[in-house]
This record gives sequence, structure tokens and C-alpha cells, in this order.
Amino acid sequence: MRQNTLDPEVEQRLREPPPGSAIEAARTFGIDLTLLIERLRLTPDERVRRLQQAMITVAQIRGAAHRAPGRHPPDQ
Amino acid sequence: MIDLAIILRRLVEEGVAFVIIGGVAATVHGSSYVTDDLDLCYARDSTNLARLASSLAPFIPRLRGAPADLPFIWDAKTLRHGLNFTLETDRGNVDLLGEVAGLGTYEQVQPGALQIKLFGVTCAVLSLDKLIAAKRAAGRPKDLLVLPELEALWEATHQPSK
Repeated sequence: MRQNTLDPEVEQRLREPPPGSAIEAARTFGIDLTLLIERLRLTPDERVRRLQQAMITVAQIRGAAHRAPGRHPPDQ
Repeated sequence: MIDLAIILRRLVEEGVAFVIIGGVAATVHGSSYVTDDLDLCYARDSTNLARLASSLAPFIPRLRGAPADLPFIWDAKTLRHGLNFTLETDRGNVDLLGEVAGLGTYEQVQPGALQIKLFGVTCAVLSLDKLIAAKRAAGRPKDLLVLPELEALWEATHQPSK
């Protein structure tokens, strides 16, 4: 897959968030900043295609869970 | 699950005026959250309502979560008499917003939207700063949950170079 050029300064900010920054706050909140670096290396089209693939995976897992013996009733 | 390629291509090819907002817009900007639907802000002029109604008609739109026996006719007249619609279709869930909290109507949302090629068609996507403003204004827990990530993305990508 073609990689988008990620500005080295953007990557640096995400790898070493400035103290008091929103980036640092996000990391404290629990956001995995390495995932953001990974996403920003992709083009927007590639990001959305990856989202579509994730949706398919989630739907498959939900389907499998519904078919499993002793499953919980489906959400109403 | 929404089939983004089918829905977006159909809307663009039919000339519908819309802006992608919500979780898919967040993904465009680099968010790692996974959404399950497609949120669109649409223009409410008569021409666009007719185009929107005809373009989604093949996917049998119906009101999501409504009783099965609740009468619902999918056409431009229904769109004109409503504003925001949460729809289930044969191709997944689509939310249509005539007005976005904190931003306003399509005419206020569209300026500054990014023109991004997705699945081979060019779509208008809400800018990151407006997406953050909309999430703040919506203020629901699920909106506030994504704010730290969006604000980090904005800060990382919009700070001037040293």
C-alpha cells in the first residue's frame, strides 16, 4: 500500500508531546498516539478503506457471537 | 454495516449536495475510532431533496428503530417535512442532518469543507476544526469521548513549523 508522506514534525509532536499540549492530554486520556501516526501515514482514501474493513470485521464478530451456543440475547 | 463505497458513489453520481460529517469525517482526518454509520449534512433546496430521495431509494430507506408498522414514505416530500433522519437502509445506517449542532445548515457547513477523493469519487468532508466544534456543541458522552483524539490530531497537524 502506498504510504503518504507524514511531515516529520507532525510525527515528532505525536512521539514526544509537548508538556501541557492537547496531544499529551490525549495520551493521558488513553489515546494510542502510535495509531494516529500510523493513520496519518495513509492517504484519506486509505484511512476510509481501512475503516470499511474494520466495520466488516466487527460485523463478522457480532454475527459469530450471535450464532454461538449460550449467547446473550441480541440487543433490543 | 454501512457500505461506504456504494452509498458515496451513488450520491456523488446523482449530484447530491452533501458534506460527510461524524465518524467517517474523523477517520478522514486520522482518527482511529471505528464508526458504524455514515453521517451526512445535506442541502435542503428542492432540487437536492429530489436527488437525495431518488439516489437512496434503491436501498429502501426506513426509520431506524421505528416500529415496523409505522407508516413511512421515502420521498422528497418526507424530507421537506423533516430535518434530521436516522435511517436504516439495505446498505447500512445513514444519518441525514439538515442542521448540525454548533455549525448550522448545509450552507454554513459546506464552506471550508475539504474535497477528498474516496472510493474513486470526490466528496466534501467537514474540516477538522468544524468537526471539533460540532462534537463540542453536541456534547453527548459519545461526542465528548472522541474530542481528546481530534484535538490531538488538530494540534499535531496544524501547528506552524519551527
